Amino acid sequence: MTDNPFMTMKNIDKSFNGVPVLRNVSLKVEKGEIHALLGENGAGKSTLMNILGGVHLPDNGSVYIDGEQVRMLNPRISQEQGVSFIHQELNVVADLKVYENMFLGSELRNKAGFLKVEEMCRETHDVMATLGVDINPKEYVRNLDTSYKQLIEIAKALLRKSRLIIMDEPTTSLAEHEVNRLFELMRSLKQSGVSIIYISHKLKEIKAVCDSYTVLRDGELVGTGSMEKENPETITKLMVGKAISQERYVHDNPFGPVIMEVKNLTSEGLFNDINFTLKKGEILGFTGLAGDGRTELFESLFGYRKKYSGEVRINGELVKIDHPRKALKAGVGFVPKNRKENAIIKDLSVIHNMSLSSMGNFESSGFLRDNLEKERFQYYKDALNIKVHDPQITIDKLSGGNQQKVVIAKWLEANTEILIFDNPTQGIDVGAKQEIYQEIVTLSEQGKAVIVLSSEAPEIIKICHSINVMYQGEITARFDGKSANEEEIMQYATGSKREAEKIG
Amino acid sequence: MANIDAKEYSTKPSTTKSRLSWLWSEYSVIIAFIVIFIASAILNPRFMDLNNQLNILMQVSIIGIIAMGMTVVMLSGGIDLSVGSVLALAGVISVLALNASGSILVGIFTALLVGSFAGFLNGLMVAKGRIASFIATLGMMAGARSIALYIADGGSVSGEVAGFTAISNSDLWIFDVPVIIFLAMTAAVFVIMHKTRFGRYVYALGSNEKAALLSAIRVDRIKIGVYTLIGSLVGIAAVIETSRLNSISSSSSGAQYELDAIAAVIIGGTRMTGGRGKIIGTLFGVLILGILNNMMNLMNVSPYLQGFVKGLIIIIAVVFQKRE
Ligand SMILES: Nc1ncnc2c1ncn2[C@@H]1O[C@H](COP(=O)(O)OP(=O)(O)OP(=O)(O)O)[C@@H](O)[C@H]1O
Ligand SMILES: [Mg+2]
Repeated sequence: MTDNPFMTMKNIDKSFNGVPVLRNVSLKVEKGEIHALLGENGAGKSTLMNILGGVHLPDNGSVYIDGEQVRMLNPRISQEQGVSFIHQELNVVADLKVYENMFLGSELRNKAGFLKVEEMCRETHDVMATLGVDINPKEYVRNLDTSYKQLIEIAKALLRKSRLIIMDEPTTSLAEHEVNRLFELMRSLKQSGVSIIYISHKLKEIKAVCDSYTVLRDGELVGTGSMEKENPETITKLMVGKAISQERYVHDNPFGPVIMEVKNLTSEGLFNDINFTLKKGEILGFTGLAGDGRTELFESLFGYRKKYSGEVRINGELVKIDHPRKALKAGVGFVPKNRKENAIIKDLSVIHNMSLSSMGNFESSGFLRDNLEKERFQYYKDALNIKVHDPQITIDKLSGGNQQKVVIAKWLEANTEILIFDNPTQGIDVGAKQEIYQEIVTLSEQGKAVIVLSSEAPEIIKICHSINVMYQGEITARFDGKSANEEEIMQYATGSKREAEKIG
Repeated sequence: MANIDAKEYSTKPSTTKSRLSWLWSEYSVIIAFIVIFIASAILNPRFMDLNNQLNILMQVSIIGIIAMGMTVVMLSGGIDLSVGSVLALAGVISVLALNASGSILVGIFTALLVGSFAGFLNGLMVAKGRIASFIATLGMMAGARSIALYIADGGSVSGEVAGFTAISNSDLWIFDVPVIIFLAMTAAVFVIMHKTRFGRYVYALGSNEKAALLSAIRVDRIKIGVYTLIGSLVGIAAVIETSRLNSISSSSSGAQYELDAIAAVIIGGTRMTGGRGKIIGTLFGVLILGILNNMMNLMNVSPYLQGFVKGLIIIIAVVFQKRE
C-alpha cells in the first residue's frame, strides 16, 4: 500500500447510548481501488460508513481525504468531498417519478428557474443504459419492481461526479445479470480513478470484484489486506471465525399429504396459468430473474393482491384469499422482500415488531402481557442470534441483517402451516444465513410446508426439495433439488430454454 | 458470534450531555409543563390557589376528552376536523331525545350514539372510500354543523329534565365530575393504546401502513375503529358541554374545538404523520394549554390577543420537536 491513500479513517470510536459500536477502527482506501468492507451482521460496517457519509458523528477519530482532514459534520459536506453513498435500505420516494428521484435535491433548472424535465429524463435514461436497464424515466417508482428501485439508488450515485462511492449492500435484490452489469461498471469506474467501498455478504461477488478488504468483528478491526491471496473460505473464516459448509441442507424427509394446490392461477400482465402442489414437509423453491412475476404470484396467494383468477385449495378446501388476514387464518404466512417498505414498523420496538402478526399469543383476557412478549423474544434472540442490546429500542436502530432476523422471527411466531419466504436472507451474513437455512429445514421436518423465493440459484439448490423456474410470469421448468444445477436453471430463467411439454 | 452481555452496558446514556438530551427527547412536554407551571406561580400568586387549579382542570376537561381521541386518530396517520360540529350535533339531538323521553340515560346514550355514528361514517370514508382524512372530516365538519343548525333552527335547545345539569355541576370530593370523566377517559385511552392489540395496530398503521397490512392486520377495520372511538369521546364531551349550562347552541357550541384538540396533541409531541406519540404527552399538552388560558385571564390579556399567544406556543412546540 502507498503512504498516501485517497481516503483514511483513523481510530474511529462510536457508541450509541453508551453501547460501543466501533472501537478504534481505521480504514484506508486507495485511489482507484474497490475495497471490500466485511463483517457479520451488526459488526459496525454501516455505522462506519455513516460516519464517512456525515450521517453520524464519531465520538473520536478523524477522516482524511487526499491527505487533508475533513470534518464530516453532515451529508452535504461529505458529498462536496466527492463521496456518494448508496445506503443499505432503499430511500427512493415511491410517489415520485424515476427522473424526479434521480435528481431529488439537485434538480436541473434553466435560467428562469424552470425545471429542465427533458434533459433530466435524457440523463436518467443514459445512466440507466450504462447499467443495462431500460425503464421509462417518467414512470412512477411505486410501480417498479424492487430490483429497479435498487438500480435507481445506484444510478443516483453514478450521476454525481464522485471520487469515492460507498455501496452498502447494493445487490440484495438484484438478479445475477444485473449484478454482472454493475460489476462491469464498477471496473470501468475504477479505471477512471474512482474508489469504491463495497459492502456485501455475498462472497462470490467480493472475490469477483474487490481488490482489497477490511474486516470488522464486533466493532473492532480484525484484518485488512489484499484480495489476491484470499479465497471464499478464508474470507468466511475472517468474517465469522469459522468455516461454513457448502453442502445441501435439506434431507429427504418424508412428505405428508398435499396441503396447498394451485390451479390455473392467472393475473393479467403479472403471471399466467400457474399450477403447483405443495405437500406438508416439503420445501418448494421458486427462482427467476426480475420481472418473472414470482413475488406478485405469492403476494396474490397471500391476499395482498386481489385481482387474480384461478383455484387455490388449502387442505382440499377451495379458498378465496383476498386479504392477508384471511391468508393467516387459512394458515399461510409470508415473509416479504424489501423489509424497509414491506415489513419493518420503524416506530415500534424490536419486541413489538416480533409479536405483531400473532398478538393472540401474548394476550390474556384481552390485554397484552409484556413479559410474555419479552420471554418469546429472548427465545428468538438466542435461536436466530439476533444482536440487540436492548430489545425495547425501535427496530430501525438495529443493523440491517438483524432487522431481517426479527422479521423472520415474527412469522415463525405466527406458526402457520404454510410459510412463504421471499428473499429471506436479504442482508444476512454468511454465518447467520446457515442458521436461517437450518431454521427453514427444521420447519419442514416438523411437517410445515415451506416456499422459498430467491433470485440466487445456489441458495435455492441448498434448501429446496424441488425448484420451479419462472420466466415472464410462467413456470418454465421444474427441477429436483438433488439434480439441479445453476447453469441449467439460468437457461430457463433467462428464457433461452423452455421445457417441451407445458408445465405450470 | 460473540454475544455481548446486555447487562454489561446500561442502555441509559452515559455522559451528562447525552443524558440531558435523552431526558429532553423523552419528556420535553413534561419539562415544558413544569417550567410553565413554575413561571405561572411566580408571575401571579393567585395562580397557585387551589380553587384556581381545580378551575383549570374543569376548563380543560372537554377539550381534554376530545384530545385523547385526536391523539389516537393522529397516531394512525389521520386527522379529525369534525369534532366541534359533531359535538354540536350530538348535543342538539341528545337534548331533543332527553326532553322527549324525560330520561337522562336516554339523553346520554343518544349523544354517544350520534357521536360514534358520525365517527363511524368518517372511518368508512377514510378506510373504504380512500378519501384523505383531512377532506373526509372537513366534509363531516360542514355537514354535521348544517344538520345541527337545521334541527335547532339556527338557535339553542335547552334541557327540560330536572337533574340533567347535575352531571357537569356536581363534584366528587374536591373534583368536578367532568374532571373525573376526563381523567378516567385518559386512563382508558392509555390502556387501549398500550395494553391492547388495537392500540398496537394503530401505532403500526400510522408508522407503515403497507407493512401493517402485510403483517396480516385488518387495516381498514382499525381505521374505522379509530374514528368511531373519537366519535364516541366527542359524544361524551357533548353531554358535559350540554349539561354545563343545560343548553347547547347549534351555531356556536364546539366551534374551533378541533383546533384546540389538535394543538394539545401536537404540543404533547405526537408526530403529525402518525406512528409516534404518547397519551401522557397529550395530557400534558392539554394542561399546558389550560394554564396558558388561565394565566392570560388572570393577567388581563385582551381576549383578542389570546389566540395569538396560543398560536405562538404551537409553533414553538413544533420547532422544538423538529430538532430531534
Ligand atoms: N442509531 C442507532 N442507535 C443505537 N444503536 C445503533 C444505531 N445504529 C446502529 N446501532 C447498533 O450498532 C451496531 C452496528 O450496526 P451496523 O448497522 O453498523 O451493522 P452492520 O455491520 O452494517 O450490519 P449488517 O450487515 O446487518 O448491515 C448494531 O448492533 C446496531 O444495533
Ligand atoms: Mg449494515
